[in-house]
Amino acid sequence: MVDEQELVKRLRQGDSNALETAIKLHHAFLVAMAIPLVGADSADDVAQETWLKAFAAISKFEGRAKLRTWLARIAINEAHALRRKRGRELSLDDWGIDSGSPIGSRFNQQGGWNAPPSQWHHDTPEALLTEAELHECIRKHLHQLPGDQQSVLMMRELGGLGFDEIARALSLAEGNIRVLLHRGRQRMHAMLNHFEEVGTC
Amino acid sequence: MLTCREMSELGSEIIDGHLRFSTRLAVLMHQRMCPRCKLYIKQLKLTAEVLQQLPLGDESVDSQAILDRLRTPDR
Repeated sequence: MVDEQELVKRLRQGDSNALETAIKLHHAFLVAMAIPLVGADSADDVAQETWLKAFAAISKFEGRAKLRTWLARIAINEAHALRRKRGRELSLDDWGIDSGSPIGSRFNQQGGWNAPPSQWHHDTPEALLTEAELHECIRKHLHQLPGDQQSVLMMRELGGLGFDEIARALSLAEGNIRVLLHRGRQRMHAMLNHFEEVGTC
Repeated sequence: MLTCREMSELGSEIIDGHLRFSTRLAVLMHQRMCPRCKLYIKQLKLTAEVLQQLPLGDESVDSQAILDRLRTPDR
């Protein structure tokens, strides 16, 4: 487990080992967060630009947010800059439309459960995350989510950004962001439920 | 009286604490009588926590290439 305060202190001192550690810890997250915004081909460019900007501005990082959250904010700005430069060939116009409940078929006409969730073998996040196969399964399913849900889940759950800043970043209302977050969580819950029932992804 | 379907739709509002007082009461009453919904909400919260704690570290990332770009003077 990396001590974040210590890591930030070393980053401020220009320690390249610390920067390497930070890159190994957060680069994959930055790429994954950028994919729905700029496409898979440009996501790595966004992450690389983020490191350039972050390293130049590390003295301004006050440590009030997590390092990952701070990096996420820079990456969102970089993604927007790239989208402007490239004429927004990746449209976000249809983002924020509610696709409806992904578990609608699990209820009867009266609104009661006909396929209720099963009991899980693990009941803490730490216990669930001891399953190495599950890590891969979560990543796979995250990437299969619709772009808007994927983006919101990445920014909120993994990035720790607030609803207001996610709304601004995606030019959507906070209410839309809450719905997208819920739909994304429901889909990821269905994936975990399947994993707990069957034992495979 | 909320249905189980309605409870599932309120799931994230419940775990994020965004409910109005009157809805919160209705949710509490439903959960008291419905172990299935109680379980679903508990698991939805666990799902969110798993994502929050998911390590996305990648040892295979070419950090050296990124460091080299940082050191390039014309940047």
